[in-house]
Amino acid sequence: MKLTFDNTTIDITPTGKSYRATIGDKTVDVEIIRVENGKLDLLIDGERVSAYVSSDNAKRWVTVNSQTFVLTKSSGAKRSGGKHDHTGELTAPMPGQVRAVNVSEGDAVTKGQTLLVIEAMKMEIRIQSPMDGVVSSLSVKQGQTVEREQVLIEIEES
Amino acid sequence: MFKKILIANRGEIAVRIMRACRELGIKTVAVYSDADKNSQHTQFADEAIHIGDPSPKESYLNADKLIQAALRSEADAIHPGYGFLSESASFAGTVASAQLTFIGPSADSIRAMGDKAESKIAMKKAGVPTVPGYEGLDSGDDFKQAAKEIGYPVLIKASAGGGGKGMRVVEKEADLAEAIQGASREALNSFGDERLLIEKYLADAHHIEFQIFGDQHGHLVHLFERECSVQRRHQKIIEETPSPLLTPQLRKEMGEAAVKAASAVNYFNAGTVEFIFDPQLSTFYFLEMNTRLQVEHPVTELTTGLDLVQWQIRVAAGERFPYSQEQLAQRGHAIECRVYAEDPANRFLPSTGKLLQFIEPRGPGIRVDSGFTAGDEVTHFYDPLLAKLIVHAENRETAIQRMQAALRDFVAHGVITNIDFLQAVLSHSDFHNGDITTRWVETKFNWTPPSKPSFESLIAASLADFTIVNRKSEIANSTEPDPYSPWKTNASASPFGRG
Repeated sequence: MKLTFDNTTIDITPTGKSYRATIGDKTVDVEIIRVENGKLDLLIDGERVSAYVSSDNAKRWVTVNSQTFVLTKSSGAKRSGGKHDHTGELTAPMPGQVRAVNVSEGDAVTKGQTLLVIEAMKMEIRIQSPMDGVVSSLSVKQGQTVEREQVLIEIEES
Repeated sequence: MFKKILIANRGEIAVRIMRACRELGIKTVAVYSDADKNSQHTQFADEAIHIGDPSPKESYLNADKLIQAALRSEADAIHPGYGFLSESASFAGTVASAQLTFIGPSADSIRAMGDKAESKIAMKKAGVPTVPGYEGLDSGDDFKQAAKEIGYPVLIKASAGGGGKGMRVVEKEADLAEAIQGASREALNSFGDERLLIEKYLADAHHIEFQIFGDQHGHLVHLFERECSVQRRHQKIIEETPSPLLTPQLRKEMGEAAVKAASAVNYFNAGTVEFIFDPQLSTFYFLEMNTRLQVEHPVTELTTGLDLVQWQIRVAAGERFPYSQEQLAQRGHAIECRVYAEDPANRFLPSTGKLLQFIEPRGPGIRVDSGFTAGDEVTHFYDPLLAKLIVHAENRETAIQRMQAALRDFVAHGVITNIDFLQAVLSHSDFHNGDITTRWVETKFNWTPPSKPSFESLIAASLADFTIVNRKSEIANSTEPDPYSPWKTNASASPFGRG
């Protein structure tokens, strides 16, 4: 069985008592000692490894050897990567409230200029222009509550 | 002694105060907003009263609702915790006029110290050293002139401020106007007061504070220092005591200055006098006094053996604080790490979400003050502090080792945390040498999380998914009497959560 996390494919084959796992040119023997809520005790090539795994839709939170990784499982379908080349769509980095809007549509802006200020968890986050350009669209008003990833403003490169 | 105390706060500090009440045999009342219906503090209390919308203004900052809740539940005292209304003189006054006891200093002491400008003036008068700067300026031109005189970099601070809010470091004149605008807006939103003060920004300074404690009979002592120089966004993330920098002589001088500062405002109950310490010149300046219990109070508790929250309650009830300065001593070394739901790789922005796993470390000398458990929601309404991890050991070296081991055992899934970041700070040679100044994280520390997931993490994730797919056959082959028991798997079909 093949699984893909963060663009890395892992091939798992049951071999009776244990599993054979292959990533790239590395193959190991993995034995599952114990599975309980969110925790896997493994023997990877004879070495004991405890892993905490949580899943939330395609996301996997994994803690192994005291390091935590957030992995994304791909379902096989290719995601359309690549950012816009000539426009900058700025989104809210976290949920919060728009405290200040310093620009209007059509305004010329410079790289690093503070366009909007969002307040969340009692902290101010300044949304700054990634480039010199013009405000091509402004989607929020002062006082408005915004969700994470919500589009706030678009800048077109000049 | 009080029979019932209302805790006008939430999260870990509310739980911590309730623990002290329980030990003293005092009933507890929690207050909660809509967002905290199922929070730990709401569950931990003997009774819980709903006080409104998640927005702090409608709940934890709403004095009327808090007083009403206290009267309705027949509490005889209110503990404000830290943050929210803990340093509001008017709240302390309102509590008193409702015939309730405010567990903290008098409204007058809070007022005298709460205003950074006023307190600075009072400290100058009392002979406590202060940072060069100006208070009470109005126009942008005045600030410009003052900044020029003091010399850049300067620090703009909210007069009514605290906790890094309404604070800006300004390196050059071109940035002054925007900084003033931003700081006063933040000050207005957080404290309802937009006045600012300006002072010299000491770039390579340490933040060393002294715990003060006094009773209502005029007895006032200090409980030694806390070194709080590891900061990001002007907020502390690691605190320890004793400070690796202080000599016994300096400790004595600073402790005496701290007591002098507190007695200048007739202080009683727990408070903290913060100093900026210049390691090159071995000079110190009064920064501000926090007229409340401090987030990092546990390191003082572990090294002095005193339960500060219990003593807060006891002196508020009129008891005498029985220890003289000579009887107090520091024993061993304690370190606190603040575990935040935030992304150190992305400007420390808060991270929100549901805690899928939350496993706190245990062991000798390890204390965890937390307000969360697995399944809890971390929302954007409040401070993203998940837990405080505190260790106590014989000396600094063993305390650092103990903290490193404890952090390795801390598992939090569902929100991004600063655990790996804290670990990296603790293993840095600058931390070992006590060379960390308040700007170290911003200017000297280049930390990036590993760019690639580890081999083992990929194997674990794959096998977890693989076992979910094959779970049906596992259950069929299981010898357990009731493989579907809801007690086993948190009512979820998969042992790893929502698949």
